[in-house]
Amino acid sequence: MTTLTLKVNGNDISREIEDRTSLADFLREDCGLTATHLGCEHGACGACSVLVDDRLTRSCLKFAVMCEGANVQTLEGFGTDPLMHALREAFHEAHALQCGFCTTGMLITARDLLARIPNPTEAIIRDALAGNICRCTGYAGIVHAIELAATKLAPEKA
Amino acid sequence: MGADAHSSDGWIGASLLRKEDARHLAGKAMFVADVRLPGMQDIAFARSQIAHGRLNGVSKPSGYEAQVFTIDDFSSLQVLEAGPELDAFRQSPYPALASGKVRYVGQAVAACVAPTRARAEDIADLVAIDCDELPAVVDAIAAMSPTSARLFEGWPDNAYITRTIGAGEIPLMKDAPVRLHRKFRMNRQATVSLETRGCVAYWDARLDELLVYLSTQGGHVMRLGLARALGLPENQIRVIAPDVGGGFGGKNRLLPEEIAVCAIALKVDHPVRWIEDRREHLLASVHCRDHHYDLTICAERDGTIIGIEGDVHIDAGAYALWPTGSFMEASMAAGNLPGPYRVRALNVNTYTVATNKAPMGPYRGVARPGACFAIERLVDELALHLGVEPYALRKLNLVTREEMPYTTIAGLKLDTGDYHDALDTAAKMVDIAAIRSRQSARKPGEKRIGVGFAVYTEQSGHGVVEWSKRKSRVVPGYEAANVRMLPDGSVNIHVGVQNHGQGHETTLAQIAAHELGLHPAQIKIRYGDTATTPFGFGTFASRSIVFAGGAVGTTSRKLAEKIRLIGAHLLQADPKSVHIDNGTVVSGAGSVSFSEIALAANVRQEMLPAGMEPTLEMTGTYEPKESAGVFSYGAHAVIVSVDEDTGRVEILDYAVAEDCGTMINPMIVDGQVQGGIAQGIGTGLFEEIPFDAAGQPLATTFADYIMPCATEVPSVRIAHSTTPALVTEYGVKGVGEGGAIAPPAALANAVADAFRDCKASFNETPLTPRRIWEAAQAARGTAP
Repeated sequence: MTTLTLKVNGNDISREIEDRTSLADFLREDCGLTATHLGCEHGACGACSVLVDDRLTRSCLKFAVMCEGANVQTLEGFGTDPLMHALREAFHEAHALQCGFCTTGMLITARDLLARIPNPTEAIIRDALAGNICRCTGYAGIVHAIELAATKLAPEKA
Repeated sequence: MGADAHSSDGWIGASLLRKEDARHLAGKAMFVADVRLPGMQDIAFARSQIAHGRLNGVSKPSGYEAQVFTIDDFSSLQVLEAGPELDAFRQSPYPALASGKVRYVGQAVAACVAPTRARAEDIADLVAIDCDELPAVVDAIAAMSPTSARLFEGWPDNAYITRTIGAGEIPLMKDAPVRLHRKFRMNRQATVSLETRGCVAYWDARLDELLVYLSTQGGHVMRLGLARALGLPENQIRVIAPDVGGGFGGKNRLLPEEIAVCAIALKVDHPVRWIEDRREHLLASVHCRDHHYDLTICAERDGTIIGIEGDVHIDAGAYALWPTGSFMEASMAAGNLPGPYRVRALNVNTYTVATNKAPMGPYRGVARPGACFAIERLVDELALHLGVEPYALRKLNLVTREEMPYTTIAGLKLDTGDYHDALDTAAKMVDIAAIRSRQSARKPGEKRIGVGFAVYTEQSGHGVVEWSKRKSRVVPGYEAANVRMLPDGSVNIHVGVQNHGQGHETTLAQIAAHELGLHPAQIKIRYGDTATTPFGFGTFASRSIVFAGGAVGTTSRKLAEKIRLIGAHLLQADPKSVHIDNGTVVSGAGSVSFSEIALAANVRQEMLPAGMEPTLEMTGTYEPKESAGVFSYGAHAVIVSVDEDTGRVEILDYAVAEDCGTMINPMIVDGQVQGGIAQGIGTGLFEEIPFDAAGQPLATTFADYIMPCATEVPSVRIAHSTTPALVTEYGVKGVGEGGAIAPPAALANAVADAFRDCKASFNETPLTPRRIWEAAQAARGTAP
């Protein structure tokens, strides 16, 4: 057991955990943050994506103890973030979700993309999503939603 | 697009944004793995590592005896009879945990309980499974040899069932002017809902019942199975399906792990949870496809199809899953071989074969992707043989609008539509002439370009007639809706279907809004809880918009009439002179709101007309006027480039012309089409679970089971036409499966078209780079 101290969604947290606990299990089971979904637990589907110190991270592939002192952000932690707000609106308008299971990871991945590249081409969007599996939508709505969100955000940037 | 006589108020045919989105976007949905209960412990299964063996015993690790369960701990657990109710269908008793034998790699042998999944897995690793290995049966065709090892000792061979499906002028085929023989193979895959299976169960002492959270497509039917397996009355089991992260057929069967979890919950004094991991999903959840076709197409010299004959083998795995097993695969594969064409004779021997692989279950399209692959490849091969455009050969043989309703040689009644128009539209969208000129202008070293077509039909909304014909153990011939207007005039509707991405909270609210004269925002659709919803069969077989849509529509209509009568009474008007308008009942002079009417009906009975029953609540069931099914259809056209050095395929353009009757919500229809095609692309190009000779599955992670991602799936161009069904409410037809049916055929035809000059034949899915490269090499006579 190890004492882990870190920030999750802005809150200071300190917990005793087993060393082998993945960040995803820590967030879901110890912190009750169930927006982080587990679709494969081997880093291939992207459903568990979170930000660790602002870097897009697969929480199933990281041990929680590796995040000592880190700042972890899950989908629950974006509050009034304008990028996430625009993405949520655009996902709704572009029918970018069906069952919703991949959606939380998609949103985090999309936000990471728009934070780095505000006006991505379709090819860049598709590349950015290449590690996120959606079994329902066939991706068209998701790609379109990210384009739509970028367009909505553009005037503010200008 | 989509306009019909019913859409005057705008709700039917409106691309209303979905009501279910907000909670998912906020991260506040609740899937089974998100359920939190005090004292809950996790379950991990110890699974067979061999494909076939006699099970001598299972040793529980020392110190953990109380946390490990084997079949011997559940003496009263019943094994469910599964498969069709046909004497010819042999029984394959499937215990919740292995008993006597193990019959596939991954079969659950023991269940281990611990406070965390990790610790439960630690215990599972210590469970010793003592087996004598037996020869594995891994090839469905070789499995029918008299010398093959047997999965079930009492069976005379390895077939669950063997049937010949024959009809029409069979003798004509023998001397047909053209006889073209081909073999096709659609390999085994998994259904791969992104949310895996999951089950949480505990005994609720206050309600004296077993509460089961289950990721399922139909909680009521699963409760029936659980009750029989556990020996509990159904009123002591409550199944809740919360948010369900995709199903695609795979969550429409009761699996042994789920029975085991419930059986353990009855033995321990705390909630237990099993969340399938991806490895378990690929290893031991529902497997699908896995068809072998050995067929001859018979035709006149001008290309007019005469008939199809040959054999179909379905590799159905080790057990039949409750309730209906995989028996529909063979009959639907053979029955759909004629496709949308005029075929005069059919003579197909079908074999549904037991092998040492995970049991087969339904997956989006059930059998039709294989049948469509076979017939549509045969049509292209025939066209190549005769030197005509595949498009032209299709035009020659497609059933025409004037021939509708047309009963195919296999007995399917194609009800309405214009298949020629769909094909013409798809052909225009991709411009065949332009492709042909690009092909002839290709310079050596450039990638090859090909165009492929596939036309499909999608039987949907079939009820008693069709399911009884199939001898189904469960006959999903109706759906029910309970429509309840509360005292303030807001509406709750409980339905027995299960939303797992289809958008029922939106589309069913649109239908109710249309009938009740309300806004969909005032109507809440509830489902997924056997304690609150009327009995229903769930969501599968492209049935929900037909059945549940019909039940919600017809029941809301009846309730609207009662509302109208109460309104007339409150207005002191002649009932003949009042009508419903936007949440009010209106007479010439005045109006009364639904909230006033609902208040009277629910809490102020003295205001009701004499003799009128209080409350505004009705439950109704619905089945279409004819229950043989209504057929959606479409034509897919795809353009691919192929790198002949590597065999790599890229999709350059994908166009669909489809018709699913009246669309309740065109945005959701487009989503179903696009999403179905993505899965069809997976079947066609990527997804496969191969097995080695010992029956070991070779794809158990997403590193070796290849899923189509955003870089592989193009945004499809979709053209709709709308031919309303004649026998359903609003003229709707189902649309859930169609997208997944045609892509493997269209893709293989496109790749073959790219190699037309050397007549290479591409007859096995997925079309991996290696398979493409090898087929091209073989055609050039340079096979390695």
